[in-house]
Amino acid sequence: MSGQFLLDQFAANFGLWWVIWPAILLGIIIGILPGFSPQNTLIMLLPLTLAMPVERAFAFMVSLYCANHLSGGIPAILVRIPGSGGAAATTLDGYPMTQKGQAQQALVLSFVASVAGGLITTLATLALLPWLSQIGLYLRSVEMVVVMLFGLTLIAVIAAKDTLKALIAGFFGLLIGVIGTDHIYNAPRATFGFLELYDGVPLVAALIGLFAVSEALVMIEEKLIVSKEGRERARQTQWADTLDGLRISLRKWWHIVWTSFVGLFIGIVPGAGASIAAFVAYQQSRLWSKTPELYGTGIPEGVIAPEAANNGVTSGSLVPMLALGVPGGTTSAVMMIVLQYHGMVMGPRLFQTDPGLAYGVFVAMAVAYIFMIFTILPLARYMARIVLIETTYLAPVIILITIVAAFSERQYLFDMGLALVFGIIGYIAHKTNYHVTAMLIGIILGPLFERYLVRALRISEGDVTVLFSSTLGNVLWALLALSLALPYLRKPRSQPAANGR
Amino acid sequence: MKSRAPLGADLVIPVLALGFAAYFFIDIADLAWEAKANGVLIGTALVALIVVQLARMGRQLARGEGSLHADPLWQPADVTRKRLGMVALSAAFIAALPWLGLTLSLWLAMLLALLIMGVRKRATLIWLPLALAAAVFVLFIVVLESDFPHGPIEKLLS
Repeated sequence: MSGQFLLDQFAANFGLWWVIWPAILLGIIIGILPGFSPQNTLIMLLPLTLAMPVERAFAFMVSLYCANHLSGGIPAILVRIPGSGGAAATTLDGYPMTQKGQAQQALVLSFVASVAGGLITTLATLALLPWLSQIGLYLRSVEMVVVMLFGLTLIAVIAAKDTLKALIAGFFGLLIGVIGTDHIYNAPRATFGFLELYDGVPLVAALIGLFAVSEALVMIEEKLIVSKEGRERARQTQWADTLDGLRISLRKWWHIVWTSFVGLFIGIVPGAGASIAAFVAYQQSRLWSKTPELYGTGIPEGVIAPEAANNGVTSGSLVPMLALGVPGGTTSAVMMIVLQYHGMVMGPRLFQTDPGLAYGVFVAMAVAYIFMIFTILPLARYMARIVLIETTYLAPVIILITIVAAFSERQYLFDMGLALVFGIIGYIAHKTNYHVTAMLIGIILGPLFERYLVRALRISEGDVTVLFSSTLGNVLWALLALSLALPYLRKPRSQPAANGR
Repeated sequence: MKSRAPLGADLVIPVLALGFAAYFFIDIADLAWEAKANGVLIGTALVALIVVQLARMGRQLARGEGSLHADPLWQPADVTRKRLGMVALSAAFIAALPWLGLTLSLWLAMLLALLIMGVRKRATLIWLPLALAAAVFVLFIVVLESDFPHGPIEKLLS
């Protein structure tokens, strides 16, 4: 891969601005609306992408995909409703920033972290593609079980206010995630007799209920979602706040870089996805911070880490698809269908047979990120004003629109009812500090965890010690234990210092 | 005087989780081990965690640090009325959707929701439900061609 080849690729993709820009706008809109996933949108647009030449189709799909990852953070910051699962971690500090009247700064931080994180990891992927593609080969079922458990430990570590309650919420979510037929015998489990639950709990309905509906039910206690001081600041939004957000982002450049790489490496693991990446990055960011106690109160690092990571995933998730022929997630599976329709064969040989396409995908992604920052950054000032809408109007709109959106994933009325049920559970959990985010992560991880656990157990004929049989797995176990123990080990050291101050 | 923790409210999620775990165990009892291994593992861990939480709450009660009231779920009372109204309205909206179709049922639901929330401005009561229903009609029915039940409005405009 020569420099000239890459330059030609960049020039060709900049020439596709008329494909990339509409895809970015569409991606931003569907990212803001909970219930609209990039995969569903791509599925609906399959007739369009199948008719396009493959390079254009890919530029369109990756632009939409990346824009979607970026804009999921917008409602997460403004109204504590993540537009997608990958933005759930952004609510933890993004929304408190909004409540403090720093919505504009939080949005700019989120945009810069997303674009810079996505761009950096895309360029890194271009450079490291032949080696990165090997990582997925080392992760078998046993290692994946530990990776999933690593995600689960975050539930406890993130929700440090009451670890026990967070664990209960997380495991409750995990058990809900097991609802549906099993992968081997297709035997239905805990479906309450509903056929609609045979495929498992729909994630969009769970996401909408636990975050959107429950939050709307809580927000009606106040006239506005921002504090009194925040209200004044939101009324006087200025370009200076956008510049302030940019300044903070520049100061935290190293944070953006390393957390985006967390996203890249997790994205390479098939099935892991943006939600896990965002939470791992958030937890690691907090773990290595000098002021971990400030996380959750509305600090820039708490917005940067999940946003940089969930955009770092975008390039990572395409690596196993192109290099191994294994799609890293549903969106890349849809992309693979388009490529196969055009007669492309995925796998290591793609880099020899069609390097223009294999590398061109990542070049298109880099170009999309460059277009994106100029499109979305000026909008932050105006988006931040949404917090001034009274909850009297905001709550009914949120509840009704998101319940309607719950229908869009599977086109079942049942899912709308389910979103309402999750909304009530989420409300109770919210009011009693049972950490709805932990519950959602449990629901997301449940089916994945089961798939890898049962596969590992079947290989060992039911012997549980198989989970400790690999060196890499054991290293991951140790890291997991360290991750759980470190906050407790750090406490005694920081306590006297704090007292001394 | 230190206020006592409202442990009654704290009990709701554990009780729900415990009930669900019990139903899960009964439901999977006759399945092959592959189909229940994961559920048993997670369910057992969940029950163990709940037992620890119950013990913790029991200790708080014994020390007089907590009471079994569930005020956080019901307070403030005027907001609770609105909240219950919104939940009931959402359920009614979903139930009416197959008959009235998306556009009409959403318009009606939004109008009633605003009334429940205390909005009395006539102009707002007219334009907001209308704008919302129109936007949803364009997005879901016209652009995305979603399979929402069609009612009189959709049939009229199709």
